Amino acid sequence: MKILLISTCKYKLSEYEFVNPIVEIIKSFEHDIKDYRTLQTINISDYDKIIICGTSLQDNDYLNFLNDFKKLRNSGKQILGICSGFQIICSMFDEKIIKQEEIGMINVKTKNQNSLINGDFQAYNMHNFSVDEVTVFNIIAKSNKTIQIISHKTLNIFGVSFHPEVRNEQIITNFLLI
Amino acid sequence: MKLGILFSGGKDSYLSMQMAAENHQISCLLTINSLNQDSWMFHTPAIKWTKLQSESLGIPQIIQKTKGIQDEELEDLSKLINNAKKKYSIQGIVTGALASTYQSTRIQKICNGLGLWCFNPLWQLSQEKLLKKLQDFQITSIITGVAAEPFDESWLGQELDSSTINELLSYSKKYRINPAGEGGEFESLVINAPMFEKKIKILSSKILYSNFSGRLEIEEAKLE
Repeated sequence: MKILLISTCKYKLSEYEFVNPIVEIIKSFEHDIKDYRTLQTINISDYDKIIICGTSLQDNDYLNFLNDFKKLRNSGKQILGICSGFQIICSMFDEKIIKQEEIGMINVKTKNQNSLINGDFQAYNMHNFSVDEVTVFNIIAKSNKTIQIISHKTLNIFGVSFHPEVRNEQIITNFLLI
Repeated sequence: MKLGILFSGGKDSYLSMQMAAENHQISCLLTINSLNQDSWMFHTPAIKWTKLQSESLGIPQIIQKTKGIQDEELEDLSKLINNAKKKYSIQGIVTGALASTYQSTRIQKICNGLGLWCFNPLWQLSQEKLLKKLQDFQITSIITGVAAEPFDESWLGQELDSSTINELLSYSKKYRINPAGEGGEFESLVINAPMFEKKIKILSSKILYSNFSGRLEIEEAKLE
């Protein structure tokens, strides 16, 4: 299995924080790290799974490349979007993004049986945007305030609003097992 | 980008700064001087010697005193960061946060509120990798405080070199401590590093120690 990690960080200094911890979790698998600004040049068919990593709260540069991300939509690949990756996945399917700040540990409840995580748990959130309703996704976990995990109704595409690499690593390892 | 470093003078904040300096301009050091030795946010016994570090680095420093009462110290941190934003036109803050969501949440909220970037280049780094990075980056630091078994007073003033690092790694297995001190097991002060123009020489100090808890009180030090 070969994994494509897409960094959404404008600055390398953010990658230590948002990409490297995920590399630590998946390091036993073959993987490449690619910058979101090079999406046009990536041969997606080289990979089995794709993880779109998060970035800093002030970093919105990836929004300028949303059209490039749309090529992932019909790739047939299993995709996990984390934080900004969650927003990218929602945008790929034209879901409406809303301003919604959540910073810190929050309680999350899973609503539906799923392959990523079950039960109630605490999660580390750090985002300024979210979604309050989805049409092509199922909601599989929520906090009191917002949608936390979604899965596409027909494709193996998942979005996680929080940072599973902090305290919830099993979400990433479970994604690799799907 | 112009950055301010949340700087305690210890190994983590210095290492974060050196990582940030690879691609960004370090405009100032931001130091909180807490009067509460048990503060959850800021705790370092040798904080007054950050002035010498600032001089050796050639980077200006802003110091903010705080009583170290839980909510007040966050207000003081916010005041400090806002002052740095106004005075040095910084666009972001760098911290040495590793694993504490308590600390990182609070700093992220302050930065987000002020429209500043927040960088945590050591975030989620393992204790072992952090210790290796200190050596790779040629950072010389000494232990200025201990607060866990099995640290005896001979650790105070010791340099973190390959021999002490190996000992810390063996302690981590035997006593289940964090070998890089993330749980507050020990505190450090950087006395020499690549960004220093001169190293810090400690001329006199005394050890205050009892029952696995102690600190090195530096009385006199100079740059040489």
